[in-house]
Amino acid sequence: MIIHSKPSSGAHVGANRSVSQIMWQVMLALSPATVFGLWCFGWPAINLFVITVGSAILFEALCIQLKGRPVKPVIMDGSALLTGWLLAMTLPPWAPWWIGVVGSGLAIVLGKQVYGGLGQNLFNPAMLARVALLISFPVEMTTWANISPLFFGDSPGLAESWRITFAGLASLDAYTGATTLGTIKTEFSQNRLLPDILKDYSVVLDFIGWTRGSLSESSTLFLGLGGIWLIREKIIQWQIPVSLLVTVALLSGLFHSIDGAHYVSPFVHLNSGAIMCVAFFIATDYVTSPNTATGQLVFGASCGLLIFVIRTWGAYPEGAGFAVLLMNSATPLIDHYIRPRIYGRDRQGKPLEIPKP
Amino acid sequence: MKLDPATIGHLKAQARHYFEWLKRWLDPANLARLRPKLEFQTGVLAGFALLASVLLGVTNCSTEGTIRQRLNDDLLHSLAEVVPNGLHDNDMLQDTLTVPSADYNIAANETLVYLAKKSGKVTAVCFKFTAPDGYSGAINMIMGIDRDGAILGVRVLSHKETPGLGDKIEVAKSNWILNFVGRSLDNLTPSQWAVKKDGGEFDQFAGATITPRKSVQAIYRGLQLFKAHQTELIKP
Amino acid sequence: MFLSTTYRKIAGDGLWNNNIVFGQNLALCPLLAVTGTATNGLGMGLATLVVITASNGLISVARHLIPSEIRIPIFVLLIAALVTLVDILMNAWAHELYKVLGLFIALIVTNCALLGRAEAFASKQPVKEALWDGLMMGLGFTLVLVALGAAREISSTGTLFANASLLLGESFRFLEVTIIPNYKGFLLMALPPGGFIMLAFLIVGKRLIDQKLTQIKVQRVVLNAAVTE
Repeated sequence: MIIHSKPSSGAHVGANRSVSQIMWQVMLALSPATVFGLWCFGWPAINLFVITVGSAILFEALCIQLKGRPVKPVIMDGSALLTGWLLAMTLPPWAPWWIGVVGSGLAIVLGKQVYGGLGQNLFNPAMLARVALLISFPVEMTTWANISPLFFGDSPGLAESWRITFAGLASLDAYTGATTLGTIKTEFSQNRLLPDILKDYSVVLDFIGWTRGSLSESSTLFLGLGGIWLIREKIIQWQIPVSLLVTVALLSGLFHSIDGAHYVSPFVHLNSGAIMCVAFFIATDYVTSPNTATGQLVFGASCGLLIFVIRTWGAYPEGAGFAVLLMNSATPLIDHYIRPRIYGRDRQGKPLEIPKP
Repeated sequence: MKLDPATIGHLKAQARHYFEWLKRWLDPANLARLRPKLEFQTGVLAGFALLASVLLGVTNCSTEGTIRQRLNDDLLHSLAEVVPNGLHDNDMLQDTLTVPSADYNIAANETLVYLAKKSGKVTAVCFKFTAPDGYSGAINMIMGIDRDGAILGVRVLSHKETPGLGDKIEVAKSNWILNFVGRSLDNLTPSQWAVKKDGGEFDQFAGATITPRKSVQAIYRGLQLFKAHQTELIKP
Repeated sequence: MFLSTTYRKIAGDGLWNNNIVFGQNLALCPLLAVTGTATNGLGMGLATLVVITASNGLISVARHLIPSEIRIPIFVLLIAALVTLVDILMNAWAHELYKVLGLFIALIVTNCALLGRAEAFASKQPVKEALWDGLMMGLGFTLVLVALGAAREISSTGTLFANASLLLGESFRFLEVTIIPNYKGFLLMALPPGGFIMLAFLIVGKRLIDQKLTQIKVQRVVLNAAVTE
């Protein structure tokens, strides 16, 4: 019997979008969340964002120069800009300048160019850099600034922000605290239960993203809107985000309904940490995710499973980065077992029977 | 037994004979002929196994004492870190008592306590204990306590905490653990035996709360263990 | 002193061309496990050097005795015995170093380079050559371990040869230097992934040098040809 699934592509189908067009559209989708995050965390966050994106482009230019290829067209495709942008979004907003520079170096040089450049990398460069930074500089990467929006009275001004970015924070405790997931992890070790830990938790603020966390990973609202627009524009497919989010929601819902004092509710899971950013913008990276719709479902669901497992039983409070990297390494395996159907052939590569007229 | 020249000459000839035989046997051509034979192969394997076991056996026997000495030196070194040498004139490794410790959550049902004595009188005690619930596994520590229950010193022997964050409990990385010197159950209230974040006396680390918290709690439990057995331990 | 061509070739193979790590890509397990610091690398390298030289010598002496059908068990037996011997002796006489390297000494058994040299060289060559080969292979391995350890140590903690006095004695304290004062510390390099990343850079470096050398050689040949014409 022949399975008549849609062939994934054909040699005669032309792409109506160039690489740079896709990159620009993704950036457009990221903008609301980014602007909101930059506003929430003020000038130090803007400094960090500019430094990270700028150094990503510089590193890209350097690598292309070393390869002896013309620099300008490669920079103009916007992929380095997007990588730097995504990385900056996942950093603690008031991190010192060198976190941005080292992170961009790791993402562009080790995450992308040593594999051969755009389209060749095994891992998502931004997540690779994020995880490498977290392991290397645990203090800087887990210092979460309080919300201090631009132009508010006690928020740092421009001059103050340069001191924070280039010289570091003077008194950590006054300006920083723990994220929701981090609080839950540490308080569990004090044998406190969830209803007690989350008594100050605000559903609405967490949904908007008015909470301590990475530069602009927190806003479910804006990231979700951007993601849905990308799906509507057919830049990304729905399979990965939906399967990822549904898996996390189902698993956390199941455990939460069994033991509500020890397992976090699906709502908190879906609105905390990097999950929205990862589901719509990181896991959907063309290069490092499977080619087929079925493969993407498997990929997304596995990411969701790993995120839930790491958050619930792991040593780190947030597991989205690790989950995506682990599944990136499984992508070739998924593509090996779940192959795209070639035009005129079935999934095993055998020619289709031509029905007699 | 006395050997006359004739016997010696005979023995010499025999030795030369065996030597010649061995030399002929070890000749590559002869060995090449023997190598395919099963008996030879079995013999060679057995020979090498015998050689290896004899060599290892001899080395093991001759170094056993030294190695035990080295391990004792290690332990003495750790003990000296937490019990000042001036406090005792006895061999602490020989003067020990075992106390039940199952109720104190220090990962041991029985704890071996080393006693420091000066002129026969107990001046301090020292024992190893474990915080079983560190951030990423057990934290093994050793602590010296004077006869009145004040801490003389605490050291971390081994742990798996995050490098750069939780490893500040090591004396090589930070002097946090030196803050415990002189503390006791008497000069701090139970609520002060906690990290500052929990309203206590001891600093937590930037980015790491669980490691110092659990260390403080385990040290507190260690002191309670001492207190429960104080009279028995400092009796002589 | 001039070495004969055979010895010079063995030395060149061991130290550079057919280096255990660079040339054969062997022994990566002990390599990545111990090279967190240059001192650990040096200790592991020296221990391996001793074992590989001894095993090469021993196997070469006994090469006519060993039937090819059972050579592998005999090689493994000899290497395991030697490693255990080094393990016991180090525990007794170099205890401080043993506390650092103790876990890894046993790893020498799994170092396929030893079996590789026994199989490829020592079992076919006279004793002197085999000993020389073991020495040079061991030395080449030590060099890589120290280079990798140094690169990782500098990038992860900013120091070089930390705790060298524990390994070599007080008189070598001068080796312990802080290259970058007040360094933040780049933990990744001290962890296993850092080992892989640094090793990749070292291998790239070696290939680059080889490429340059070949270019020079080719140019010289071309020049010579031009001159003779």
